[in-house]
Amino acid sequence: MILALVVVTALAFDFTNGFHDTANAMATSIATKALRPKTAVALSGILNLVGAFLSVEVALTVTNAVVKIQDKTGAPKAELLADGGNALLLIILAGLVGGIVWNLLTWLLGLPSSSSHALFGGLVGATVAGLGWAGVNWNGDGSKLDGVVGKVMLPALISPLIAGLVAAVGTWVIFKITAGVAERFTRNGFRWGQIGSASLVSLAHGTNDAQKTMGVITLALIASGHWSDLENIPFWVKISAALAIALGTYLGGWRIIRTLGKGLTDINPPQGTAAQSGAAAVILASSHLGFALSTTHVATGSVLGSGIGRPGAKVRWAVAARMVAAWMITFPAAALIGGAMWWVGDTVGGTAGALVVFVLLCIASVAMYLRSRTGRVDHDNVNDDWDGETTVTTTPAGPIPAVAAN
Amino acid sequence: MHNLGFALDGAWQVLLAGLALGAGLPILFALGIRSLAWGAGEAAVGVNGVTAGRRRPIGTAAGYALFGIVVLGVLLGLAFIVSTGFGYKLSFEHIYPTFIAK
Repeated sequence: MILALVVVTALAFDFTNGFHDTANAMATSIATKALRPKTAVALSGILNLVGAFLSVEVALTVTNAVVKIQDKTGAPKAELLADGGNALLLIILAGLVGGIVWNLLTWLLGLPSSSSHALFGGLVGATVAGLGWAGVNWNGDGSKLDGVVGKVMLPALISPLIAGLVAAVGTWVIFKITAGVAERFTRNGFRWGQIGSASLVSLAHGTNDAQKTMGVITLALIASGHWSDLENIPFWVKISAALAIALGTYLGGWRIIRTLGKGLTDINPPQGTAAQSGAAAVILASSHLGFALSTTHVATGSVLGSGIGRPGAKVRWAVAARMVAAWMITFPAAALIGGAMWWVGDTVGGTAGALVVFVLLCIASVAMYLRSRTGRVDHDNVNDDWDGETTVTTTPAGPIPAVAAN
Repeated sequence: MHNLGFALDGAWQVLLAGLALGAGLPILFALGIRSLAWGAGEAAVGVNGVTAGRRRPIGTAAGYALFGIVVLGVLLGLAFIVSTGFGYKLSFEHIYPTFIAK
């Protein structure tokens, strides 16, 4: 029973991960009208689906980066398996709920925050609540870049800077090169440049992010004794995770697409090409070098960079500052929610506790969905002028504990 | 603070690779577009209306050659994603990329 709740919640997280991150790949193409909004999200969804299947590599040890609930091979810690793995399942469930609630809240506010940070934050919060501070892998063991510091904090500081610099250089040089070239050449050429680079980002996203959910679900299956193979992931897990992230992507987080494509800076095709190729290169290079970073931070950094690099472009620093603030609080906020959820689940206890946590998640999700109906952003008005602010009403951030306690 | 060391170590490599591929390829792409435009010749507006400029085949050819390089770069990126997924590593040991099992 608890296992079923965990699986459903994990797929729900995967789904929010998809629609939260559509913007990373497609916001610039949509903003420059290289692709129609619907076409863009469909393309991105398909590529995410393909990407998810390409990631055959076992992602079982995904939680090891931040918490100590598994050993190095991916097997759950024995002391957590005492009562049919329920202790472990509750931690995972609470952590996932923390991630989902934070993803939905930032989506409601149109803020591109990192889905992986939300997941890791939720897991850390639930672990601290369940196992104490020692259950968290803060700093790794010193042999490689690891732990909360190495996998979350440092990359979050460094990756937007790198991506921004790459995109700024690219944009600046491209504008120098194509200055004075007839628009009929630049428009069509850069249109394809954008589509190509955005597709790469989508594919890389599918391979990286769907894996995390597959790993978490498989961990839950192992903990409850429904799966024992540490080398492989059940096929149905792979299919359902791939479908969940693709469907989420296709639905499109229009609010975030709008912020990234129109809010930060006004993007034109050459700039979009530079931003998106910068993002694609940085994402691929860093995953090659084992430098864990968030697609969101890279994509946002490169859009900002392209705004800085283009002569005469205006960057809306107020929007950028709001976004950076959201990045900073993503991890602790998701951790708070995750911790609170674990506490609720543990206090009620057993299957009933997990059920209560799940119901709280449903209530919070429905509440935020209903809230989003006022001042909705969809494929029709995603490209409206930012400064007009007629159709979009942004709400001030509510107190986070209020949501967690919903 | 070993993590900071690892991070900075990884960061400059990512930066170099990012500049080479992330800024380099789009710059080649932009050169390709410029080259195509130059190859098509400049149209002149005179008393007889618009006259098309003289075509320069070299420009057109160079343009497509540059696009070709960019496409190769993208394919390399794709090969990288796919090979990692299937447990292979893209190796540049022999300068040209080869797949080796991890």
